[in-house]
Amino acid sequence: MRSKTFIFSILTILCAAAIFVVAFAYFRVHQEKTAEDTPERSYSRYYAMITDDPKSFFWQYVYQGASAAAEEKDTCVELFGSNLSFDYSPEELMEIAIASDVDGIMVCGGDSEEMDSLIDRAVDSGIPVVTMYSDNAASRRCSFVGVSAYNIGREYGRQIVRVREEMERQVGRGRAASNECSVTVFFDSSQLLYDQNVILSGIMDTLNRDAPGTHFTVKNMVVDDSNPFSVEEGIRDVFMEGTEPDILVCLSEMDTSCAYQAVVDFNLVGKVYILGYYDSEKILNAISRNVVFSTLAVDTGELGRYSVEALNEYIESGNTSEYFAADVTIIDRGNVSEYLHKEETDEKALQ
Amino acid sequence: MRKRFNSLPLSYKISGIFIVINLLIFIVDLVLILGINRMSVDMEETYRDNRHLNEMLEALEGVQRSMTDYLNSKSTDSLSDYYINEQRYTELTGELAERVTDRTYDRMERNIRKMSAAYLESVSKTIEDKRGRNVEKYRTHYEEASKLYEYIKAYVRSLNEEQFVSNSEKYTTLARNFRKFESFAMIVMFTVMIASAFVITAITRSLIQPLQALAQSADAVTEGQLDAELPKSRSNDEVGRLTTAFGKMMVSIREYIEGQRLSMEKERQMQEKELMMETHLKDAQLKYLQAQINPHFLFNTLNAGAQLAMMEGADRTYEYVQTVADFYRYNVKKQDEPVRIEEEVELVENYIRILNVRFSGDIHYEQHMDERLKDVKMPGMILQPIVENAVNHGIREMGDKGKIWLKVYRDGERVYISVKDNGKGMSPEDIEMLLGGEWKEREVSGDSNGVGMDNVIARLRLFSEREDVIGIYSDGKDTGTEVVINFPYEGK
Repeated sequence: MRSKTFIFSILTILCAAAIFVVAFAYFRVHQEKTAEDTPERSYSRYYAMITDDPKSFFWQYVYQGASAAAEEKDTCVELFGSNLSFDYSPEELMEIAIASDVDGIMVCGGDSEEMDSLIDRAVDSGIPVVTMYSDNAASRRCSFVGVSAYNIGREYGRQIVRVREEMERQVGRGRAASNECSVTVFFDSSQLLYDQNVILSGIMDTLNRDAPGTHFTVKNMVVDDSNPFSVEEGIRDVFMEGTEPDILVCLSEMDTSCAYQAVVDFNLVGKVYILGYYDSEKILNAISRNVVFSTLAVDTGELGRYSVEALNEYIESGNTSEYFAADVTIIDRGNVSEYLHKEETDEKALQ
Repeated sequence: MRKRFNSLPLSYKISGIFIVINLLIFIVDLVLILGINRMSVDMEETYRDNRHLNEMLEALEGVQRSMTDYLNSKSTDSLSDYYINEQRYTELTGELAERVTDRTYDRMERNIRKMSAAYLESVSKTIEDKRGRNVEKYRTHYEEASKLYEYIKAYVRSLNEEQFVSNSEKYTTLARNFRKFESFAMIVMFTVMIASAFVITAITRSLIQPLQALAQSADAVTEGQLDAELPKSRSNDEVGRLTTAFGKMMVSIREYIEGQRLSMEKERQMQEKELMMETHLKDAQLKYLQAQINPHFLFNTLNAGAQLAMMEGADRTYEYVQTVADFYRYNVKKQDEPVRIEEEVELVENYIRILNVRFSGDIHYEQHMDERLKDVKMPGMILQPIVENAVNHGIREMGDKGKIWLKVYRDGERVYISVKDNGKGMSPEDIEMLLGGEWKEREVSGDSNGVGMDNVIARLRLFSEREDVIGIYSDGKDTGTEVVINFPYEGK
């Protein structure tokens, strides 16, 4: 065989082998990774977070705050029930969490005896429980993290005074001067009567102190939120009767949204002032459009963080402070743009 | 390695190449098949978790059912059923994840595991209390167990659903990878095929190339180019050996032909030498004869004799000497070119006259000649030898009774000359021998001018370019002989 042919053959075979190896390696490296290929991270502690509506933005943000805080202590927080195909009540989720033998429970379940006994059962099983946002004072929970109802009332009171000032500036521009001002406060039926009273007294105290010259008529209205669509119906009823107040104070995200929609539908923008609750995108947009006067936002991240910290402290040292207060913030036209921006980035993070 | 390859037999080389190429393709196929196998195993594994969860759910339902049965009937069958199911369920839940990780499934599995433990404890307490007939307690435990049973079921179902969705995604990914791998395999196989085609073509060509060169050389040799360039053999296989053998054979043939040529050359040279020697001998003979008879001297001598005879008034002597002189002059002169018939006839007359003087008028000569033919050309020195033959062998011993007739005539396009005697005649055998050229002159006698009959016949045949130029006729002993020659009439 000629040496040229020999070298050519050897080279061709080597080239083919090289192409094969390179192609195979390329394929191995570039083939799509399946979910299981990503390494997992394990935690030493496991907290269950139980709420009445795990899918709401409010609780999602709280969960985010809690997760961020838990991460520091090698702890995993799970929003219980969010990945189950059935909707369970907080009580049922409590039972699951107890049976699952988690390391700690953060619960917002409303003040019921059943919840109290479940919390006690958990504590009996050696699981510390922290109540969030609404307290179960009768139970043996180790701590309560929430917003002070009186503080909320006071904040609303201040906003009502501001609205009153705004209304006076409007006099002569289609608004008759009046010394009267009617205020309706929407309470959800699930809210504790005690809390309702504390909030109302907070409002009244502030009004009396800051605007003694005006005669405020403050009405409280309990909206039935026991079934999914009843809130909207309840709020609409107020408008249908034609006795709409000057100021509407909403104490939940849902109430705010419904009130906002009703004001738009009944063409009462600029006549009826809404003081909302919570900083969802919809509400923030309504503020920037001047439909909602201002909203009161709880610092959700702080709420979550305090809950985790309370549990950590209890597990590590055996006791913790009975009460943690999360901040509340007022969002109005003056500062809504920065929250809108924050909202966008947060939502991206959630997705 | 290349040298070792070159020394292998052709069949080994060809099989070797094909085996190597096939091996290569086989290895590539093997790797591809292994890849496909691994992927299909992965695909089979995809829904393993779902199958496991379904089994678990069945076992859980089994535990709950057998417990309920036992509570209803308190039968031993349901109790043993319960133990079997409980065992099975414990085993299955033992396979679930225990750790808390950032993966939802792991946490769900952990919760199911823990809840299952609580559930099984409740169930066992229920069974125990049922046995102990503690109605109040077993009812509470039963309710607790049932609640947990529902939660676990919900959890397992949710996990199953979630996993199914994620496994479906995984399956889709795997299927996509599988498709990609398919195209990849196609490309690889195609590349390997092209490469092996190249290699096989190149190697086959290099194996066949010496054979082609050999065939070309063989073609050239067939066409007679014995000096065609011989291909060089590069390998030791059959083709190489054939090429070497062919080369050696060609060298041998060339050497053989060269040897033949040399020996033929030698032979030719020897023949030439022999011929030269003969020619020289003849030349010498001729020179000797010429030296003996100097014609000019002879003619001058004879002319002097003739003049002397004329001065002395001896007319007959003068005539005789003149005739002899003429005869010899012709003899010397007319040897190699055609002559006129008249000249030949004149020579015959002179010859007869000389003989008659010598033998004192013994021969009767009669001549009949068509005068129109006297200028026709014929070869010289033909008639005189015939007449000489007739005299010497026919009428010599007859004394004055001997007679010779000469006749010249034409028949068609041929001229005939007949010489007839009334002498001894000839036997048919002798005639045949004479015509066949086998008749030999005994010796050059003193009465002959040296030209034999065979010479005459040969020259006549050459002149006419045909065989039947002479006829000899004799009716037997003492009946005489007639010799008739013929040649073409070609004008004057």
